Amino acid sequence: MNTRPIHLTVNNQGYEVLVPEDATLLELLREEIGLTGTKEGCGAGECGACTVILNGKPVNSCLVMALECEGASVRTIEGENADGELSDLQKAFIEHNAFQCGFCTPGMIMSARALLDTNPDPTHDEIKEAMEGNLCRCTGYEAIIAAIEAVGGIQK
Amino acid sequence: MTTATTATLANKEHRYIGKPVKRHDGFEKVTGQAQYAGDIKLSGMLYAKMKTSPHAHARILSIDASRARALPGVRSVITGEHGTAKVGIYMQDKSVIATDYVRYAGEVVAAVAADTLRIAEQAIELIEVEYEPLPALLDVCEAAAEGAPLIHPDLGSYAHSEGVFFPEPGTNIANHTRIRRGNMEAGFAEADIILENTFSQKQVFHVPLETHVTIVQWALDDQIKIWCSGQSPFSVRDLFAIGFEIDRNKIEVNIPFVGGGFGGKAGIHLEPLVGLLSRAAGGRPVKLVPTREEECATLPCRQGQFARIKTGCKKDGTIVAEAVEILWDAGAYADYGVNIGRASSTSACGPYYIPNVCIDAKTVYTNKLFGTAYRGFGHPECFFAIERQRDLMARELGMDPTDFRLKNMLYPGLTTVTGELVTENTGRPDKCLKSAARMIDLHTPYTEAEKAEMRLSGKYRAKAACVLQKAPAMPTWSASSALVQMNEDGSVRISVSGVDYGQGTYTVLQQIVAERLNLPIEKVNINRSVNTTLSPYDWQTVASRMTVICGMAVADAADDLKRQTLEIAAIALRASVHEIALGEGYVYVMQNPHLRVGFDKLAIGYVYENGNAIGGPLIGRGRAIAQGLSNLDPETGQGKAAIDWTYGAHAVELEVDTNTGDIEVLQFANCLDVGQVMNEQLLRGQTVGGILQGIGCALSEAVNYNDQGKMITNNFTDYKIPTFKDMPGEIKLDVVQTPQLDGPYGARGAGEHPLISVTAVIANALANATGAQFHDLPLSATRVHAKLEELREGQVNEIAEGMENFEPTACTA
Amino acid sequence: MPGFLQPTTLEEAFALLDGKGETRFLAGGTDLLVLLRLGAISCDNVMDVKRIPELSTLRLTDETLEIGAAWTCNQILAAPEVGSEYAPLRQASAALANSLLRNRATLVGNICNASPGGDMLPACLVLEGSVVAASSRGERTIALKDFFTGVKKNVLKPDEIVLRTVFPRTQGRGTYLKKKRIHGHDLAQVSVAGFYADDGHLRLALGAVAITPLLLDFGVIPAAELPARRTEIIEAVAAAAKPITDVRASREYRLAMGRLFTERIIDGLIDGSLGLAEDRPCTTPAREAVTA
Repeated sequence: MNTRPIHLTVNNQGYEVLVPEDATLLELLREEIGLTGTKEGCGAGECGACTVILNGKPVNSCLVMALECEGASVRTIEGENADGELSDLQKAFIEHNAFQCGFCTPGMIMSARALLDTNPDPTHDEIKEAMEGNLCRCTGYEAIIAAIEAVGGIQK
Repeated sequence: MTTATTATLANKEHRYIGKPVKRHDGFEKVTGQAQYAGDIKLSGMLYAKMKTSPHAHARILSIDASRARALPGVRSVITGEHGTAKVGIYMQDKSVIATDYVRYAGEVVAAVAADTLRIAEQAIELIEVEYEPLPALLDVCEAAAEGAPLIHPDLGSYAHSEGVFFPEPGTNIANHTRIRRGNMEAGFAEADIILENTFSQKQVFHVPLETHVTIVQWALDDQIKIWCSGQSPFSVRDLFAIGFEIDRNKIEVNIPFVGGGFGGKAGIHLEPLVGLLSRAAGGRPVKLVPTREEECATLPCRQGQFARIKTGCKKDGTIVAEAVEILWDAGAYADYGVNIGRASSTSACGPYYIPNVCIDAKTVYTNKLFGTAYRGFGHPECFFAIERQRDLMARELGMDPTDFRLKNMLYPGLTTVTGELVTENTGRPDKCLKSAARMIDLHTPYTEAEKAEMRLSGKYRAKAACVLQKAPAMPTWSASSALVQMNEDGSVRISVSGVDYGQGTYTVLQQIVAERLNLPIEKVNINRSVNTTLSPYDWQTVASRMTVICGMAVADAADDLKRQTLEIAAIALRASVHEIALGEGYVYVMQNPHLRVGFDKLAIGYVYENGNAIGGPLIGRGRAIAQGLSNLDPETGQGKAAIDWTYGAHAVELEVDTNTGDIEVLQFANCLDVGQVMNEQLLRGQTVGGILQGIGCALSEAVNYNDQGKMITNNFTDYKIPTFKDMPGEIKLDVVQTPQLDGPYGARGAGEHPLISVTAVIANALANATGAQFHDLPLSATRVHAKLEELREGQVNEIAEGMENFEPTACTA
Repeated sequence: MPGFLQPTTLEEAFALLDGKGETRFLAGGTDLLVLLRLGAISCDNVMDVKRIPELSTLRLTDETLEIGAAWTCNQILAAPEVGSEYAPLRQASAALANSLLRNRATLVGNICNASPGGDMLPACLVLEGSVVAASSRGERTIALKDFFTGVKKNVLKPDEIVLRTVFPRTQGRGTYLKKKRIHGHDLAQVSVAGFYADDGHLRLALGAVAITPLLLDFGVIPAAELPARRTEIIEAVAAAAKPITDVRASREYRLAMGRLFTERIIDGLIDGSLGLAEDRPCTTPAREAVTA
């Protein structure tokens, strides 16, 4: 198996890792770096469970090749509470019961974080537009929207 | 929840029951720290891959795995010659791995464990399987017909729960459940109107976001450790032990966080297969992570259904007789599926009193993916049929459908189809129906201006309401147990083996213990991951039974701990037990409240000043069993089928774009008689989630196959579940709280119920909007548009698909 | 298992393509990685083309709008150079998949994938789009109306790299309408793009009704003649569509929705409602933008 080194920043930490040439960013994060908060739900970009923020934009990490990310900056769920306490978004998810099984939650939070980074007080429809690529089978989405709206309200 | 119920929810008597307690597992889940089976890496772990059948039905002529075995890095390969053990919960009809035949496309014929997943994938490609394709039976009506080719010629030899299930060897019918009451001939003779309809529904997927991830280590001396994404740790242990004839004590099942189940992770799944790979690899742990495509094509789905209902009514709307015949499309195996037919039969006529009833439910093998438990356990399918039939009959009668329902409803003093007496505490579907109808102003007609706008735009609005019911479906002996142990600091920890895969069970159990022990909720912890060696027994996490049965076990354990605590405290306080009481984290003398001893001083033993110690660690134990259930009479189905019935109702307003066939759910109302709201936020979460899952089943979800029986909806590109953009405009919820006498604090289960009847209420509203009477699902825009085109051209054919193949039994005669 | 190539210049890319077996190009990867994972395609190498500067340019000249191959749908939506006169392109960009995928999915990738239902294809066809492909033998421009040859097939040679999509500067009114099974992310059951240039030139294009996207060029129809020719146009579209039944829709439904959307576009042009919402003159001067 051909492996190649890659250098990148994940949650403001520098990494130099050897990865198989055909590895995805998701595989790099989970298997090589050991950050398993990011989940795989479909492997085909249809569910958003693997959402991370790559160079400021939310992406399905299952559809990014690891070697594309040379020099890139990646943010994952593990970076969301980097200051040692839960972020506003994480607190709002708990407050509003915005998860059940929790498997989609890391991806949901990263998509929501990317949205709030560019649009601090999104409307109901803007939230749906930005979050459409993240599937949840448990909650019916209502509570997730409430959590994101609440953070938007706080930031305002 | 609407404001109407706020007063009833704010029950002043309780400190934690019905109070807004946050989920126990929030921190882990929002930080990504929650560890799911797929996140586990063990030393020496191998990675597995499955090879599956491309044929829906075939004889396996040969399997050559020699090239796979020779590939460097491959540590074990198994095929049918290694796995002839049959494993199944109710009907042992499924081999761990296909042996001589494959019965559905996607069935596992070989599996590999290798050092890396890439090597395992390469090895799978090197395995050559030679098949002799056989004709595939894809239609449940054809499969049920006399003389159909047999999918399981050995059906008569399969072990199953005797006296509970009734296979018919020599046919494709894995189980035939019968319910009989009254006299059908006399009943129908009384009727002024007799209406007969058929209804059909395809299979649907559960779609847990986490697939059935499984890790097994089968070491020497049959020391077996399992980590899996499952709902039923003890069932996995039990069925594994039975299948391979191994002592229960040698098997340990661990359930970490679980990424969704919806019934699909009940029972046993990939554990035996992965176990065989591990054993063949010398006991190294093996991990199998099914891809989404494998989850769809190889792991079970919800069964399909074909139903025929014949209803007799008097002119005044009294239902006098009803015959229901259901063919359950089990797919290739019915190990779990047989119980869906049995259990849902008890609800097949809905919450109505009908004096003359004949119900036949047959679970039928076909050459499709096999079905299993799915949220609602047959009830969503039965209620699509029966609640459609109610609206169709009301139309025949010229009666308001709500009035028609209320006229025939099961009120206290009447009996269910299995002969169970409905009491004042059974629950009130009538109240739920009225509430749901009120929430959407069901009976407020549209104004002329609104109607004109509808005609102009071609977007027609309409409303409908219907009812639902379900009781836990489980063996008569299904039980839970619990431990509540006191920590050194006077806090407590709960151990159970029910699994909280998101529904909120553990939070409710914490509330019960905190309430019972008068402890701050922060001092009540619960074990997050279940382990069958360490955790007390529970049957399965299914059937909306956790709050009720596991809740009763936990309450019992808390009471036991309280009794022990008081016993030691009485000695320490030099008082009699009847003279002392629980404070918040301490025990005090009622007459002299300043005389007290903290839980922390009692938890592991009370120590006197001179060093003498008494008591020892305080461990409360509790248990509960489904009290009073009986097997149903094989001929008549009479017996005690349910410990608690949760009734409810939905109402909907939708808009149908007659130009495109698109349905927009404008508002959706739900009311459940939950007995007692334990946690309003969790209840709303379950309800909203269930409703949207039901909307998916109504509008877009169906498993489809090509003519050869190969699945064509095996991924999220082709199988669409609702997204953020597919939410209803508004969801309104209410509750009725008729206390369940033996439920904890009067509570009933509510996890599955929101999904039941969603399809029916949407199809009824669609009919009200357009006149398009659908007898099958899903109500996709393509199909709605086609039906509307037929209506426009006057070519509507009311006969549902498959009816021409349907052979009625003697039941209706 | 394919190797990974990441050239930073075109010359390097051409050199890497020489004699290295079959190479697939990676832009957004939203199709490629799915197909590779499923084993639907295989190749010896994957070449990430996003670090080649020529592919990262968006340029608005007096004659053309040029969108580099690395530009994603979301970047196109955010680009002021892509004005309302390119409404079909903007609307298709917003209709493709979902916002998350549009952060990766590229216009050129969608074109080269050549799926009959690809969202960008009808929009590009009515806007007279073409692609510029380069190889060690030089560059060539291929009009998109001549580009698609079958399901997931196009006229590109294995060693040709698409550098950009090029549209003529234009003025007119247009739209892209997409029918799908759910409100959320789905492939098109059928899609119709229409563009009515200010000079009266009418083009309609349909997706998911044939093995390739279908372009109907009606030539110049003066606005005054549109009402009289409404039926003729709609029937021409209906006659050209040859859809199949599959898991997403029936043949009949595709035909009916293709007809309905065509009617809506023509009626919108006739009554003036189409294009009014976003109607603003193109004031964007010629300029160049480069991806961040």
